[in-house]
Amino acid sequence: MRHIPTVAARELRSLFVSPVAYVVMSLFCVLAGLFFVIGVAAFDQYVRQLMQFQLFDELQKQNLNDQLISGFYDTMAVILLMLTPAVTMGLFAAEKTNGTQELLLTSPLTMWDIVLGKFFGAAAFVALLVLFVGLFPGLLFVYGDPEVGKTLSGLIGLLLVGWTYTALGCFASSLTRSQIVSFLISVVLLLTLLLLPAISDLNVMGEAEGLSSALRWLSTGQHFQQLLKGLVDTSDLAYFAVMIGSVLLLTKASVESVRWR
Amino acid sequence: MIEAQSLTKRYGEVLAVDAVSFKVERGEVVGFLGPNGAGKTTTMRMLTGFVPPTDGTASIAGHDIFTDPLAARRAVGYLPETPPLYPEMTVTSYLRYVAAIKDVPRARRREAIERALERCALTQVRGRVIGTLSKGFRQRVGLAQAIVHDPPVLILDEPTVGLDPVQINEIRGLIAELASGSGESQHTVVLSTHIMAEVSAICRRVILINEGRKTVDESLEDLKREGRSLESLFARETGSESPVAARVSQ
Repeated sequence: MRHIPTVAARELRSLFVSPVAYVVMSLFCVLAGLFFVIGVAAFDQYVRQLMQFQLFDELQKQNLNDQLISGFYDTMAVILLMLTPAVTMGLFAAEKTNGTQELLLTSPLTMWDIVLGKFFGAAAFVALLVLFVGLFPGLLFVYGDPEVGKTLSGLIGLLLVGWTYTALGCFASSLTRSQIVSFLISVVLLLTLLLLPAISDLNVMGEAEGLSSALRWLSTGQHFQQLLKGLVDTSDLAYFAVMIGSVLLLTKASVESVRWR
Repeated sequence: MIEAQSLTKRYGEVLAVDAVSFKVERGEVVGFLGPNGAGKTTTMRMLTGFVPPTDGTASIAGHDIFTDPLAARRAVGYLPETPPLYPEMTVTSYLRYVAAIKDVPRARRREAIERALERCALTQVRGRVIGTLSKGFRQRVGLAQAIVHDPPVLILDEPTVGLDPVQINEIRGLIAELASGSGESQHTVVLSTHIMAEVSAICRRVILINEGRKTVDESLEDLKREGRSLESLFARETGSESPVAARVSQ
């Protein structure tokens, strides 16, 4: 396990010498800025309207966290869904096309060195993206007074969602040698994950209450929402740990399968 | 240094390697000869731990590939058919990475990298990005990668393929140099090729593999003494003796 940092550092460095990291980062920041400004403008307009109609009771109930920051984080989770696959698509697929898979698997590395090294390399990059997202609510502290706890727990939620996407992206990349196929598999997997609550609401599920709630539990949605509300519950944190852990276990099996084909 | 005991690899119905056994002593340079698709690469992949044998086992420098895989892999330097290079890295940073994952102690890494660069004549391109290098340089970076941790055993899959005659001579010289010396610094080399001249130029022993089976295992000296040529042996064993080839070998 002591080679995890070596593998992770190489992965991270390779991301930064390829255009992918910069394209992803700039797209992400532009979109974050855009959605933040739109959110602020909408909030501002709403507050003005409430003042105009002198609805002071209603005005008292408004706060930056629920009206602005949560929605902003939620949107950025969707943007991450589209961009994380671009970060993870090469993790294993590129090793296969470069022929470096043979170097990795004939080196004195354990499977976990390889899988966790790659995961942490990509996860560090995603953490950087989430850090950028955190800068925007940070601005609000200058002009207003959002709740620190809620703002942070939401950001942690976004980070955990991003890492779940990273793990699934790792897995998708281990399935194929084509980066494009890897990208597409991840996007489809992540969209399915996002849509699980909608699927569980379908009428056909009416009879199977257990299945329906299981599907809802499997999706990142309800756990992320709890964190957005500022509710840090071990059961939600455990969900992310279980999800990331089991997907990485699948990835390990998938990488290992090269040996047994 | 290398001991293979009835190595067998089966891909579904296809028997790629069929009970190949051999022993290689320290300092030997052994050539794996055989037509394309004979099972040379698969045998090497089993020795290096890339794919496990379906049956049989092997040990490298006394470490069994099943019971002590990490130690066995640590003892091997492996150059696959396509050099395993990251095109976006520079030569030095690539070798630094390989040295790290091959367990070269941190304190000795710089020295190990310098030696590998020098031995493979890569000093003038050390700062270059691998993707911009010519084929000959890339092959040499691949070789540097295989020797950077100074392993006792080197397994080279077609090390001179695609190189020009000057480069071929350099690589051959390097292999000969690695196998010479004495004690710890003496390397054991197994290389595969389908060029017979290569075997006679650098190997002391030839193992002929055809259709997954070992058909010949003799020292070149013995062959020479008995007046047999490698070419006729190859033709006879692989059944590729055509009238033209027969006339050429005469």
